[in-house]
Amino acid sequence: MSQISTQSSPDAAMDDHAYQAVLDRLATEPALADDNITLTSAEAAGVSRLLLGLGVVGLVIAAGGFALNFRAGFAAMQIGLFAVTAIALGALFFVLVFHITNAGWCATIRRQFENVASLLPLCMIGVAVLLVVELATGGTLLRWLGTDYEGHHLMVHKEGYLNPTFLVIRFLVYAGIWTFLAFRMRGWSTEQDQSGDRWLTRRMRFNSGWGILAFALTTAFFAFDFLMGMDFRFFSTMWGVYFFAACAFSSLAFLAIVFAWLMSKGKLQGVVTSEHLHDHGKLMFAFTVFWGYIAFSQYFLIWYSNIPEETMFYIFRRTGDWALLSKVLIAVHFLIPFFLLVSRVPKRNPRFIAAIGAFMLFAHAIDMTFIIQPMVDAGEEKVIGLSSWWAIAGGVLGFIGIFGFLLLRKMVAVPLTATKDPRLPLALNHKNYV
Amino acid sequence: MKDPDQINTERLAGMGTVALAQTGDGTLIEDPAIEAPLVINDREFADVTETVCGYAEKPAPLWWYAALTAASGAALMAMIFIPYLIITGVGVWGLNNQVDWAWDITNFVFWIGIGHAGTLISAVLCLLKQKWRTAVNRSAEAMTIFAVVCAGIFPGIHIGRVWMAWMLAPLPNYNAIWPNFRSPLLWDVFAVSTYATVSLLFWYMGMIPDLATLRDRAQRRIAEGKAMHLRLMLPTGKPLDIKFINMDKIRAFGYGLFSIGWRFSSRHWHRYEAAYLILAGIATPLVLSVHSIVSFDFATSVLPGWHTTIFPPYFVAGAIFGGFAMVLLLLVPLRVVLPNFSDLLTLRHLENMAKILLVTGMMVGFAYAMEFFIAWYGGNEYEWSVFINNRANPAEAPYWWSYWIMISCNVISPQLFWFRKLRQNPTVIWIVALAVTIGMWFERFTIIVTSLHRAWLPGEWHMFWPTWVDILTFVGSCGIFLTLFMLFTKFLPMFAMAELKAVMPQASPHPHDEEGGH
Repeated sequence: MSQISTQSSPDAAMDDHAYQAVLDRLATEPALADDNITLTSAEAAGVSRLLLGLGVVGLVIAAGGFALNFRAGFAAMQIGLFAVTAIALGALFFVLVFHITNAGWCATIRRQFENVASLLPLCMIGVAVLLVVELATGGTLLRWLGTDYEGHHLMVHKEGYLNPTFLVIRFLVYAGIWTFLAFRMRGWSTEQDQSGDRWLTRRMRFNSGWGILAFALTTAFFAFDFLMGMDFRFFSTMWGVYFFAACAFSSLAFLAIVFAWLMSKGKLQGVVTSEHLHDHGKLMFAFTVFWGYIAFSQYFLIWYSNIPEETMFYIFRRTGDWALLSKVLIAVHFLIPFFLLVSRVPKRNPRFIAAIGAFMLFAHAIDMTFIIQPMVDAGEEKVIGLSSWWAIAGGVLGFIGIFGFLLLRKMVAVPLTATKDPRLPLALNHKNYV
Repeated sequence: MKDPDQINTERLAGMGTVALAQTGDGTLIEDPAIEAPLVINDREFADVTETVCGYAEKPAPLWWYAALTAASGAALMAMIFIPYLIITGVGVWGLNNQVDWAWDITNFVFWIGIGHAGTLISAVLCLLKQKWRTAVNRSAEAMTIFAVVCAGIFPGIHIGRVWMAWMLAPLPNYNAIWPNFRSPLLWDVFAVSTYATVSLLFWYMGMIPDLATLRDRAQRRIAEGKAMHLRLMLPTGKPLDIKFINMDKIRAFGYGLFSIGWRFSSRHWHRYEAAYLILAGIATPLVLSVHSIVSFDFATSVLPGWHTTIFPPYFVAGAIFGGFAMVLLLLVPLRVVLPNFSDLLTLRHLENMAKILLVTGMMVGFAYAMEFFIAWYGGNEYEWSVFINNRANPAEAPYWWSYWIMISCNVISPQLFWFRKLRQNPTVIWIVALAVTIGMWFERFTIIVTSLHRAWLPGEWHMFWPTWVDILTFVGSCGIFLTLFMLFTKFLPMFAMAELKAVMPQASPHPHDEEGGH
C-alpha cells in the first residue's frame, strides 16, 4: 500500500482508486454471493406464515383477557408491546454503538440490528394506540390520568410533568427521534450497498454521536413515563438504566435467534460465523450480568434504606403471586443465563445460542410482566394476579409473532449483510483468537 | 453448502484486511476505510525495546530530579501531618458533629476513583480486544496502584482512634466484638483490599517479561564489559560519575529477582497469556464492584442527597472518568519530556481517551440530571431542598460554588471533545483533564459535605471549612502519588513491550496487499 503513504491529504485518506480495489475484491468475495446473503420471499414464506399465525392467535388469546376485566386484557397487550419495543430499542442502541466505536467485527451482523431497529416506528404506532386508549379511558394502567387521584398532594406537586398534554408531547419527541435514527441508520447503510460510498460510514458515525445521547435521555424518560409512571408515587433514579438493561438484554437474545435461523437456512455462510456468534454471545453474557447488577443495585438500595415511598414498589411485588414471580425473575433473568453463557461452547453453537436466546426472551417477558402486571390489581378489590397468565403469554407471543413477521418483510427487502461497508474485510476475517 | 472454516481459510489466503496508513500523526483517520497505526514513525521492534528500556537505564534527566524533589517535598506534608493528626486527634481537621465526614472521605473516594482507569484499561479493554490499550496499560496500572495507596490512607486515619484500625479487618471474635457485616463500610474494606491485591498482581505479572528484558540487557552489558556505572546529573547540567557503583550489577540482581526466572520460552509465553486472560476476567467485575460498594457507603443511608438508586453505576462511570483524566494528566506531559514517547503513545491514543472522557462525562452528567429530576419528581421536599438549597441555588446554598465547579468541570468542559480539532490537541486535552480531575474532587465534596451540613434539624446545621491540616494532608497524598509515579517512570518499564510489539504492523499476520506490501 505504498501509494497510500504518499497521500498528503490531512486525513491521509485512501484515494478512491485504491478503495475501488477493496470494493472490487469484495465484489468477487465468494461469501458475499447473492444467494448467500439474500433471503427471498419464497424462502421466508413458511416461517412468515407461521409467525403471522402465531401473532394473530396470540393476540386473540390476549384479547380474551378483556373478559376478565379491561385492565387485565390491556396489560396483556402492553406487556407484549413493551417486550418488542424493548427489543427494537436495544437493537437501535447497538447500531449506534457499533458506529460510534468504529467497530470492525460487527459489520456483517449490523444489518439485522438495523432491520430490528427499523421496526421501532411500528412499535411507536402501537404505543400511540395505547396512549390514545389510556387518554380515552381516563387512565387504565397510567392511573394518574384519571380522576382517582385528583387533589392527591403528590399529583398536585407533579402536575407540571404528569399532565396529558405534556405526556403526548414527550411521546412525540421520543417517537420522532427514534424513527429518524432507526430509518436513517438503515437507510444510509442500504444506500451504501448500492453506491459503495464509504463516507456514508462516517456520516453514520457522526449521527450516532448525538444519537446515543438522545437515545439515553429518551429511553430513560420513556421508561419513566410509561412504566415507572404507572404508579405515580414511585420513583427511582435507576429506572431508566434498568429499562435500558432490559432493552439491550432482549435485543441480543432476539438477534441470536435471527442469526441462528438464517444460518440454518444456509444463509450468511462465512459471513456470520461462529466467531461472530461467540462475540454476540459474550455481549449476551455481559448484558445478563449488567441487568443483574442494575436490578440488584436498585432493589438492594431500596430494601436497605427502607423508606416507605420507595419500598412500596417491591413490597407489593413480594405479596401474592408476585412473591413467586420475583424469585423466578432472579433465576431466569440472571442466574440461569449466566451459567448457560459463561462457557465457550454454547456461545459458538448456533442452535445452542438460539435456545439460550429464546430462554432469555422468556425472561424478558417475565421482567415486563413483573413491572406491568401488578398494576392491574393496584387499588382494585378483585385480584387478578397471575391468573391471567394465559392472556399475558398470548400477548407476548402475539406481539413477537407480528414483530417477527414484519421483520421478515424487512429482511427480504435488503441484503442480509452490509455488502460494501469499508470495515467488511475486518468483519469477514474476524477471529476471536487473534 | 461450503464449510464456513473452509471459506475463511480461502479468504485469508486471498484478501487483505483494512489498509493501514503508513504516515500521519496517528489520529483516528476520518476515512472509514483506513485505520491509523498504533506506533508511528516506522519504528522497528528493536526501537521499542531501546526506547522503553532507555527510560529505565539512561541517567535521569534534570527535570526528573526537579519533579521528584517537588513531589517528595509534598509527600513530606503527609508524613508530617498524619502523625500530627494521630498525636493530636481529629479535632485538627475541620470536622464537626454535623459534618463528620468531609475532606477525609472526599479524598478517599477521589483516589479510589482515580484507581479505576488502570483496571479498566488492562482488564475490560483487554477483553474487548482494544489494541490501543497497549500504549497506556502499564502506566495506567501503575497509577492505579499508587492511587489505591493514597486512598487507603484516609479511612485508616479518619477513625479517630487509629490504634483501633485493626478492627476494620474481619478478625476472630477476640473482644467479643464482631465487625458489623451488615455495614457497607466493612464491605468497602473487602472490596478495596481485593481490588488492590488483584490490581497489584495484574500489574506485576504483566511486567515480568519486561523486567526480564531489563535484566538480560544488564547482564549482556556486564558480559560485554560495557557495564554502566551510576551517573547523577548535577543542577548545573553536568553529569557526576560515580564509578564504583556498578548500576548494571544492581539491575541484573534487582530486575532478575523480580522477573522470577522468566526465560522468554514459548511455554512461558503460553502460560503468561492464559494467566493474563484469567486475571482480566477476574479483574473485570472488580472494576464495577469497588466503586459500587463505595457508593453503597452513601446510598444505603436515608440521608437526602446520598440515598438514590442510580449511585452504583454513576459512581463507576465517575471513577472511570476521573481515572482517565488522571492518566491523561500524567501522560500528556511525558509525551513532551521523554524522547520518542509520542511515537508509542500517539495522538490516536489521546483521541481515544478524550472520547472516553466525553462519554463518561456524559454518563456522569446523565446521572446528575436523573438525580435532579427525581429529586423534584419524587416529591420529597428534603431531597429537593438538598439539591436546591444546599447545592444549586447560589442565593441559598453556601456551597453553591462547589456544585457549579462540579458541573462546569465534569459536564461542560468535556463537551469540547465534540470537536475533532480540540480532541486532537494535547494542550486542550491536558487542560480538560485537569478540569475533570478538579471537578471529580468537587463532586465527592459536593456529595459528602453539602448533604451533611444541613440535614434534618436546622438547629444542627453547621458549615464545614477545612483547616490547614486538612489541606496539607491532601497535598501530601498528591505528593505520595506523584513521588511513586516519578519513581515508576525512572525504574520500571513504562510500556508493555511485548504487547506493544504485537500491535505494530510488522506483527500483523495478515497477507500483503497485492498492490504493494508494507
